[in-house]
Amino acid sequence: MSPMNNPQDLNPSSLKSRFTTRFLRALTKINGQKPISSSSPREMFQRYRRIKVAADKSMAWSVRSRRTWSRAMLWKLRSRYSCRQASSSRRSSVRTSTIIKSRQAKTSHEKENKNTTTGQDEVGFVVQADKLRKLVPGGEAMDLCNLLGETAHYIKCLTTQVQVMRKIAHFYSL
Amino acid sequence: MNTASPKMLQCSDMTVLERQNACLKWQQEQLQQQQQQEQQSYFSELSGVFSSQVQGFQGGLVSGDSVLGDMVMTRQVKPDPGLETAWHEMEKVDMAAMGFGPCGYSNGPDFDMNYAISRTSSCPTFVAAAVAAQAVEVKGKESIVSEKMGSTVGRGSFKKRKVDTLQNSKVVAEDDSKRIKACAEEGESKITGPNTNKSSSSNNKNKKETSTGTSKENSKVSDVQKPDYIHVRARRGQATDSHSLAERVRREKISERMKYLQDLVPGCNKITGKAGMLDEIINYVQSLQRQVEFLSMKLAAVNPRPDFNIDNLFAKDVFPSCATNFPAVGMSSEMANNPPYVQFNPVEQVVSSCGLEMGINSLDMALRRTISAPVSIPYASFLDSSCFTQIQPSATWDVELQNLYNVAFDQEGSMPFPSQPFTGTLLEKQNWGPELI
Repeated sequence: MSPMNNPQDLNPSSLKSRFTTRFLRALTKINGQKPISSSSPREMFQRYRRIKVAADKSMAWSVRSRRTWSRAMLWKLRSRYSCRQASSSRRSSVRTSTIIKSRQAKTSHEKENKNTTTGQDEVGFVVQADKLRKLVPGGEAMDLCNLLGETAHYIKCLTTQVQVMRKIAHFYSL
Repeated sequence: MNTASPKMLQCSDMTVLERQNACLKWQQEQLQQQQQQEQQSYFSELSGVFSSQVQGFQGGLVSGDSVLGDMVMTRQVKPDPGLETAWHEMEKVDMAAMGFGPCGYSNGPDFDMNYAISRTSSCPTFVAAAVAAQAVEVKGKESIVSEKMGSTVGRGSFKKRKVDTLQNSKVVAEDDSKRIKACAEEGESKITGPNTNKSSSSNNKNKKETSTGTSKENSKVSDVQKPDYIHVRARRGQATDSHSLAERVRREKISERMKYLQDLVPGCNKITGKAGMLDEIINYVQSLQRQVEFLSMKLAAVNPRPDFNIDNLFAKDVFPSCATNFPAVGMSSEMANNPPYVQFNPVEQVVSSCGLEMGINSLDMALRRTISAPVSIPYASFLDSSCFTQIQPSATWDVELQNLYNVAFDQEGSMPFPSQPFTGTLLEKQNWGPELI
């Protein structure tokens, strides 16, 4: 991996640096919580999940609410977290699940509407557009035009994420 | 004392501090001389105003606040400071008041305070009259000076200000003082700045500048005032229906975004057609997400050193690319509740046991980091065996990942980070610019 001599890296307010600082903080927190024992795969899996969530969360936080996909991702993470927390009490879990279901119903309803309108114009893209909508968080409630814009930004952020995580992993394995 | 004061008031050569000191000394002398002065009423009224404003001046006059306050109150507040520094003809004006001026007023804005003082002061008449008189004098002097200067800029500004009141005279004085004090070009530029909108001078140079300025401003204004919607014109032989126009706009937007995505996604240049492009984009997004998952799994498996500084990632050049096997990774596997201590010895053990001499430089860096690192470093005793056992799984993991990467993603290493992939036209139509960065 060639060293990145990009001056943008040194910019403290760039997306990359924001994501890096947040992610590292989360990582140290995760690693500090439990001692790392390579024996148990279950623990490793849990840690993997936590790290993945931390990566997504820190990426979404770095973008703040400027993008639909980041907002959707943050909302999803929060709702999942609250769902998990409220799993003990049945009432709140039911409430959260109903909220999630209603939102899904709403988005699917919107999607149907959008599909009918978009279907008239670009027939061949509906299938791919659906796939893309599933991939990009928050993509269900967007028309094709905005979806493409969100996809572009999402790709950019994902590449940043991958680069940073790769660097971190490289350093850790040194 | 009048002979001494002009020298002190020629502040052009002195620094601010010297000025202040000189003024303070002088004012103290003056104060002693003028202990028995009338107009104690002014003192009470103006002292409040002055003290607050004097403090705001240059911060260095704190000690001299009261002194200055007394001083100025007793004199009939004649704030014409900047002028005094420049124009020696003004000596006839009260020197005591001037003493306060030059110290405090090296800049134009201080003028505002003075005039504010004179305006807000409830003392009245003869102060105001004196101020007015001074204003007249200022204008008179200004005419003299502008002629002396012979600069057309001054004339232009003078014409403009003829109509104006005290405020503008103060602006003139400020500008003139600047002009005289500093270099002429400086003052001119400062004057032409505010004059771009208003000046109607016949000076060619000024006119050019102002015309360009106004034209630039007009263009800027017109740009700002442009409506949000984009005007679309139906091309020849195309439907002029509003629906179809909107459709065309939409299609153009979509095609633009597809082009942008084509640049982002590697390997999309060969593919033509929106369907294929979309497929490619979908594959790429899926691969990126999978990569994130793999990397998070790798991070979960590999044990980090807890004393990792964030600077490491940015100071890539510090660590040579010769990746030394730094098996300090394995150290943190043991208990978590150990008292923190700097693992100086274990690292050395690592080095000796692994027999690495190439990595000494990076080791030194690491050691320095560990020493300066923050608090809790939960480390147990270092075991050579654990070190080696830790290395191996990560190595195999790396190998597997490498294979995966090589198979799936060809260009991952050469993919440039899209820092500024925008063209001007694309940005203007879609408000992406600042958000995407």
